[in-house]
Amino acid sequence: MFDQRTIRRRRAVLGVFVGLSVALLTAYFGESGGGILHALQRGAQEALAPVETGASRALKPVRDMFGWFGDTVDAKGDNDKLRKEVESLRSRLARAQTAQRDVRQFRGLVGLQRESGFPQGTQPVTARVIARSPTVWYSSIKIDKGSGDGVRIEQPVIAAGGLIGKVTTVTGGTAEVTLITDAQSAVAAQVMPDGANGIVRPEVGNPNDLLLDFVEKGRRVTRGTTVVTSGFGTGRVRSIFPRGIPVGRVSKVNLDEIDLYQRVHIRPFADLRRLDFVQVLTRRPPGQQSASSGQSGQVVTP
Amino acid sequence: MIISPLAFLRVGLLLLLGVILQLSVVGQIGVLGGYADLTPLLVAAVAYYGGSVAGSATGFAAGVLLDLATGATMGASSLVLTAVGYAVGRFREVRDPSHGLLPVPIGAAATLGWAAAYAGVSFMLDIGATVSPLVLRDALITVLLNSLLALPVFVGARKLLRPSLAVDPYDRRRRRRAPRETGPIGLRGLEV
Repeated sequence: MFDQRTIRRRRAVLGVFVGLSVALLTAYFGESGGGILHALQRGAQEALAPVETGASRALKPVRDMFGWFGDTVDAKGDNDKLRKEVESLRSRLARAQTAQRDVRQFRGLVGLQRESGFPQGTQPVTARVIARSPTVWYSSIKIDKGSGDGVRIEQPVIAAGGLIGKVTTVTGGTAEVTLITDAQSAVAAQVMPDGANGIVRPEVGNPNDLLLDFVEKGRRVTRGTTVVTSGFGTGRVRSIFPRGIPVGRVSKVNLDEIDLYQRVHIRPFADLRRLDFVQVLTRRPPGQQSASSGQSGQVVTP
Repeated sequence: MIISPLAFLRVGLLLLLGVILQLSVVGQIGVLGGYADLTPLLVAAVAYYGGSVAGSATGFAAGVLLDLATGATMGASSLVLTAVGYAVGRFREVRDPSHGLLPVPIGAAATLGWAAAYAGVSFMLDIGATVSPLVLRDALITVLLNSLLALPVFVGARKLLRPSLAVDPYDRRRRRRAPRETGPIGLRGLEV
């Protein structure tokens, strides 16, 4: 069907492209973050950012239309669940308000400066999501704020509900955020109010389920309790996530007798599949640096 | 495919448009928990109309573009998409198909191949995390959505690439349809 020259040319082309791909892979793994391929990626992202922003904004009605169909299907199931949650939250709110009033009174009495749950003084920068990675193996989004807005690498990023990830690449006007569902992600966290510590890892492909790993067996972890970032660190390594950012709620606890640790399943507070706006915490809370240093517990800075 | 600067421009434009649309719009529209993926469809479309050489070159270029735009590991996507493009191109060259609905199974097979091979490459690169079985569900939904998108994507790609195509399978199909009302009575259906 084909002459030998055509066959040879076809095979040579395939060989060249496969070889080039393997060479790219090897070079990419071999170089540091400041290498030529990484720089090329940053340059390409910076060049494509305005186009992606424009396309994202122009075609938002299309996305919303498809979102509306999905939401309508989901709404019925969510309705009953949310009603129950509202009831539960109302009673919790009443308890929290009572407790808050009590706290205010105690503060007045003893003059104790207490921090609220969420870290203060973090200078959040609000950004719009302009693109997201198409594969589940690299869970990342791109936002329309960059180094010009004070965004730097390894700053925590939150969305409505709680923690979603950290900044991994920054250009002048954009930044890439690696989500906590990314295969390489790990976040030092603790279960409140018991204080059991662990590392939040993703379960690739299931953004509604995170794993809190390395939780000591003796610690009692109950379903429904809240998991927040612990902000723990040693003298040399410090978690990039400040203490107190909500991560999710415990959905299941695996108590396997063989394992040394408990495996706690968490449902994240933030909806990681539908992110429109996020906030980058551009400043570390001033009170937490000294508080975290010197505490025990290895902290992962992914 | 006739290799010319205009052909390069057309394929480059198609890929750039596809990747931007994928990242900004299609990748953000979740359907049943999954997302459509235009990239393997575009590579398959070019390979289907242009053959294995054009297919593997387009696959490589699409992979590099995708990795550059998303910040993923450079070379992984291009390795897989090169193979996808080559395979679709070879299928076209060996079987010489011309059925109008063929883009649907070809798009599905290309997407399935892309998802499976990319997962394999990711495993080999040591992702170091637990993998949920829901990955399979997501991949199947992507294959299903891409099957639905295959026809319009292939039609669009064909329209864009047509001036650079050496052979258009649909044109050949139309030429094969001989006039049925020719010839004298008794020889109807035969070309005379």
